[in-house]
Parts: sequence; structure tokens; C-alpha cells
Amino acid sequence: MNAVKCLVEDPQAVLLHESRRLAIVSVLAAVPSLTFTELRDTLEMTDGNLSVHLQKLEEARVVAIDKQFVGRRPQTTCRLTPAGRDAFTRYLDHLEAIVRQGRTTPPRPGA
Amino acid sequence: MDAQEATRTLEVIRTLMERTCQYQFLTARAGLAAGTLAACGALSFTFLDAADPRHFGVVWGLVFVGSLLATVLGTVLRVRERGERVWSRQTRAVVLALAPSIFAALVLTVFLFSLGLHLWLPGVWMLCYGQGALATSVYAPAPIRWLGIAVLGLSGPALLLGPDAAVWTMGLVFGLGHVWLGVTLLAAERRQQSALRLHRTVA
Repeated sequence: MNAVKCLVEDPQAVLLHESRRLAIVSVLAAVPSLTFTELRDTLEMTDGNLSVHLQKLEEARVVAIDKQFVGRRPQTTCRLTPAGRDAFTRYLDHLEAIVRQGRTTPPRPGA
Repeated sequence: MDAQEATRTLEVIRTLMERTCQYQFLTARAGLAAGTLAACGALSFTFLDAADPRHFGVVWGLVFVGSLLATVLGTVLRVRERGERVWSRQTRAVVLALAPSIFAALVLTVFLFSLGLHLWLPGVWMLCYGQGALATSVYAPAPIRWLGIAVLGLSGPALLLGPDAAVWTMGLVFGLGHVWLGVTLLAAERRQQSALRLHRTVA
């Protein structure tokens, strides 16, 4: 089966295919959790932009967001859910399949 | 999406993941400075007497302090450049991992100096350095792990060769080793910069 078709037919892979959402998930996959500020600074995104993407990822149950108070300050912590980790692993598998397919498929004439 | 785009995306993912969990503040320039200082230290014994504990202590003490200063300065500059905190989560993890080896090296240095056996120190320092480098390998870039394995492996022959090889062992292992580390980190920094530029372009 065509590797690109597999990616397109996986709804969570499609969700992760957006570059900023993929960046968020990549960063969260490397650590147990990050605060909203740490995530924003690592990815150099604006508060609004990050919030929008985190909301989409939370709705898809890829990311879990916990809000708590540290002292008197509210702190938002983000982490990847087990389902999110699976989705990310599957997305990586899709990319690797595309790379492998590209190596085995001869280039089209004139391409 | 084609194979080329998939490869680029995988590279960006890898860079972002490494940047998040690795200690990235050890600069190539600090490695090169430490290597140059160690090589100069070894060369200084062409006119100094390594058997004299004062000469040996002053030269390698200066090399250590100079390397430490280069690392601290490089780290602070890198942190400012990125707008991050010096005492970050990764820095705390690296310092905690290094602490036992630094403590062991310090105790053994004082002990061997007090017995007049300072020329055995290069092998001991290599053992401690190798252990420290490997202890940080979970958080540090891969070249640190390779250098740690190499230095740990070479510590045995260094101790077998004994005091006669003390000076050139230091020059070779800590001098050339750190220069290699600096060059490798420089190449990695350039690769990472191009991947991050790509991330910012597509984001």
C-alpha cells in the first residue's frame, strides 16, 4: 500500500501533520511534561498560537493539560497522553515508510 | 509528501526532541579552548619539570581553571543568546551526574599529591573524567559519550604506562580529545542550526 495514502487515512497522523502541532508533540514526546511557558519558549510560539494548537491536540486526546496553582500562581502543565504517544509513533512510522518507499521506487522519467 | 520532505521532517523532529531533553549549552568553543589549554600545558613541560609537584600542580591547575572558565563563559553566552535560564532542568541534571566524579577526582588529587605520587594522577583523572562523561551521557550530546568511553578505555593503559607517560598522556587525551570534541560539537551545532531554521521556516 502507498505510504502516503496510509498517512492520509490515519486521522491522528493528519492532525499531527501540521508543522506547529507536530513540533509541540515532538517536544512533549522527549520529556514527561512541560509547563506552558517552557513549551512556548522552546518552540518560540506566541501564547495565542500555542493555546489554539494545544486545544486541538487536547480535543483529540493527544495531549493532556493540567491546571494547578504553584504558590499563588496558576501553572499549566502539558504532557503527551498514551494515545498521543501511540499516534506520534505511528506518524514516525508513516514518515519512515515514505522514506523507504522513496529509496526503492525508481524516479519517474522527467521528474 | 515525498521521501525528501519526510526525511527533512524526521530531522526537524529529532532536533526538537534532542533540544528538549539534552544539555545543549556545552559549546564547541569551550571544547576547543580546553583542548588547546591541555595541549599547551603538556608542551610547557618541555621547559618545566613534571616531577616537581609545584610545576605539575600549577600547570594542570591553570589548565583546569582555564577550561572551567571557558565552559562557564561559553554556557552563559549561549544561554543569553537563547534567552533561557543558566540553572535549567538540564543543567541541574548534568551537575548532579558530574558531582560524584568531581568529588572523587578532588579527593584522589589531594591524596596522591600528599604522598608525592602526583605523576600517577593523569590515569586517575582519566578514570574520573570517563565516569563523569558517561554519567551525563543520558542528557549530553552523543560526542560526550564517545569521548567518555574513549577516555575510560585509555585510563587503564595510562596507569600501566605510569609516571613516565604522565605528560604526553595528558596532552594526547585531554588536549587532542577536547579538540576532537570541539570540532564534532561545531559540526553538530551547524547541523542543528540548519534544522531549526527549517522548523522556523515551516512553522
